[in-house]
Amino acid sequence: MKEVTKAELLKEIHDSVVEFDEEKTTELCEKALEIGIPPYDAIMDGLALGMDAVGSLYEQKEYFVPELLLCSDAMYAGLDILRPHVKVDEHQTAGKIVMGVVEGDIHDIGKSLVKTMFEAAGWDICDLGKDVKLGKFVEALKDTGADVVAISALMTTSMMAMPKVIGMLKAEKPDVIVLVGGAPLTEDIAQQYGADGYAKDAISAVQVAKNLLKKAA
Amino acid sequence: MHLRQDRLTASERMDALFTYQKPDRVPLGAMSTGFNTRNAGHTVADAYEDPEKSYSDMQWTTEQYGWDPIPQYAGHTVLGAWDFGGDVRMPKGEFEGALVVTEKPVNSEDDVAKLELPDPATVGRIPLAMRFSKLQFENNLPVYFFSRSPFTMAANICGIDLFLRWTMKKPKLCEALLDISLKHIINALTLWLETFGTDRVFVWMSSPSESNQLISPRTFKKFALPYHEAYHQRLRELGVQRFGQHICGEQNLNLPLFAESPPWPHPSVLSFGHEVDLEAAADFFPKDIIFGNIEPAVIQTGTPEQVYELCRVAIEKGKKAPGGFILGPGCGMPVNAPSANVYAMTKAVHDFGFYE
Amino acid sequence: MQKMTSNERIEAVLKGKPVDRVPHFPFILGFCAKNVGFPISTIYSDAEKSFDAQKKTFEQYGIDWGPMYGYASYGTWEFGGEVEMPTGEYQQAPAHKMFPVKSEADIEKLTMPDVRTAGCLPIAMEFSKLQEKNGTPISVIMGGNFTIAGNICAAEKVCRWMLKKPDVAHRILRLATDHIVDIVSHWVDVFGPEKVIPQFWEPLTSNLIISPRQFKQFIMPYLVESSEKILAMGVRHILYHICGDQNANLDDWAKVPMGEPGLCSFGEEIDIDKAIEVLGEKAVIIGNIDPAILLTAKPEQVYDRCREVIAKGKKSPRGFMFSSGCEVSPETPGYHVYMLKKALNDFGSYNG
Repeated sequence: MKEVTKAELLKEIHDSVVEFDEEKTTELCEKALEIGIPPYDAIMDGLALGMDAVGSLYEQKEYFVPELLLCSDAMYAGLDILRPHVKVDEHQTAGKIVMGVVEGDIHDIGKSLVKTMFEAAGWDICDLGKDVKLGKFVEALKDTGADVVAISALMTTSMMAMPKVIGMLKAEKPDVIVLVGGAPLTEDIAQQYGADGYAKDAISAVQVAKNLLKKAA
Repeated sequence: MHLRQDRLTASERMDALFTYQKPDRVPLGAMSTGFNTRNAGHTVADAYEDPEKSYSDMQWTTEQYGWDPIPQYAGHTVLGAWDFGGDVRMPKGEFEGALVVTEKPVNSEDDVAKLELPDPATVGRIPLAMRFSKLQFENNLPVYFFSRSPFTMAANICGIDLFLRWTMKKPKLCEALLDISLKHIINALTLWLETFGTDRVFVWMSSPSESNQLISPRTFKKFALPYHEAYHQRLRELGVQRFGQHICGEQNLNLPLFAESPPWPHPSVLSFGHEVDLEAAADFFPKDIIFGNIEPAVIQTGTPEQVYELCRVAIEKGKKAPGGFILGPGCGMPVNAPSANVYAMTKAVHDFGFYE
Repeated sequence: MQKMTSNERIEAVLKGKPVDRVPHFPFILGFCAKNVGFPISTIYSDAEKSFDAQKKTFEQYGIDWGPMYGYASYGTWEFGGEVEMPTGEYQQAPAHKMFPVKSEADIEKLTMPDVRTAGCLPIAMEFSKLQEKNGTPISVIMGGNFTIAGNICAAEKVCRWMLKKPDVAHRILRLATDHIVDIVSHWVDVFGPEKVIPQFWEPLTSNLIISPRQFKQFIMPYLVESSEKILAMGVRHILYHICGDQNANLDDWAKVPMGEPGLCSFGEEIDIDKAIEVLGEKAVIIGNIDPAILLTAKPEQVYDRCREVIAKGKKSPRGFMFSSGCEVSPETPGYHVYMLKKALNDFGSYNG
């Protein structure tokens, strides 16, 4: 087997994510474990950095949703290999987030991509899926003690649920940060609805959440 | 304030547009279904499952707001998920405004080969759409045949996330789905043409899955555009006379590809979302009737003044479109739009939309 | 006759001059809020938003008279009780939360409200300033004498007291009557008597609640007193909404001075022909489509009913304004409200 340095292997993992090669990512992550690279480093400096690069390619309009989906598949394939080996005390969570597509809406591609980006950024995620009843968001917030709740909607009909659920969330935990997104949403509408932040796409969502958390600290 | 009086009927107005003549005023389209049934005290589900209610609510609402019947449909005629053996349910509850796919016909690669062409006379909601079209026919309205594009229908059959993955990894599967989608659309359309005659059928299509928020122009060129071309080739062979397409969402990167050689007859109606500037649309498509493009989220959550102003600007730009212009929402009329906001569009047409 | 503006139409009716078509008079509040996307409570809690929502809705639905402010439970808040704004799915107007008078002893503690600051009156005044600014009729709305009395101590109490302790009932009616005169006097001071058209909604004098004898003996003297005092200030027209089944009270209503002409609006329980017969010589008749029909019937049924009412109302000698018989429910389908406009356009013209 060719000798490879830690830096080289991490770069290869990074590249395999960017090239959305699921098989290669799996192999490289297994190799990382074999040669003793700390799994947490392989996640943060291999997989997560790879997704950062994917995000940039999306912003430059080089990559679109199909590429994002496949890159995310590659990343998750790698995570499946590495995560079980991460020691609990090693894992520093960047934050806790509950996310879901609001009641009445089943369009979840956007939310899935947001999840990928938060995963890559090291957040603890509670993914409620799609068509999430309003009360479930509140329940999940209570159960997880999350810092942020992210809600998405694609339809003008379903986005009408947002002010309601935001009110319920704030009543449960006044300092919770609520982030919204989805095609019919805008910064203005998000404000009107009582949300703390709005993200125009999956790539910017993590940064918006980070900034809001920092502001609140 | 008095509204100015129209000098043409809706039908005369549309005939003028389709012969490149200036009508009395900018027509006002609505792309509205659930809003109509709610306006008349019925449910959103009625818009999809009760053609008679949907039809009469649509006519009353059209009269109330002074809309022109472009387009008028009660939901899609052909549906990928439903027609090919999946399942859908009606919208329910406070926050649903459209049909919901509950089971997709294709969930894996193996399922693609098992797909069969459905019977266009009996499958899905085609029989309901036929009842609706008969009412249009009997009342001297254009008979609308409404489908998604082959690309959007193909994605609907297996779910958009799987379809997009296959565009990268298994293009042959995509082609198989695209082929069968196109065939089914044409079969159903043929039924419409045979029932109502080519001179009465107005073919309408929407293509939301081709948005650049989902796919690159490369993917559009490879997978979507050839099927638009094939589709229009068939329409020409069948003798279809009037066509409209709702080019849904952010599709700015696709427009130059369409514009290189537009596959549709001229003029056709091209409807755009708020993401596409109307002047840019008119530049790309000088021989076609531009339709749009008031942002639905503003119609739903904005003030009447905001909607009115958006319409004023749209009318100002649209009036310069060499192929003609119709004012309308940038996508389906939001079901929960406050009535005053919808009326603001009517008011704007009557204040700014007349051609002197 | 050339098509008139809404203001021209209203002015012509009030002056007894010919109009091009029957004017459309509003009895529509929470619906306007929903029409514009506001919560229903804004109609009562926010003068500017309320005016704006009504103005836009009136333009859309062809309503001629201007926006108005008021609600049926007027008096509770002003005399020291509490009302709650409509918030729930099925609430359409402010409702009593706590009556100022719960027992006889409370009556002695009552003081005359300061009409500049009590209850909703500051919002009502802000609203009337918008009416003046927009050139629409300045109509301050209150309950009538008996309805205000019922809002002070709850309807069943005043009904019981009318029979068991008439002195007590009289004391409350006295307070209500003096308060009415105070309000109108204040509005007249601010806007001038010719511009103010006070409106009194009297649902509590319905014959489902009190007998015509009680109306005549108990209520009438107060109605006449406050009306006379108001007209003596120089006010030209008073509008009485004679709500519900008051067929047996009509002959007595005809004795209440209302101005030249008065304005009388009726619920669907009173036939317009009968209203014209009894009050047609002294008042502009207003009414009277059943709001329940507007809410639940088919559009064709609404249209037919409108046609009937308009045909009857046009015969009224002092003039007629077309309206709903009581408040249009906020849940009424928009198309049904449009039927009112459509019917007026089709049948409301006076030209031939």
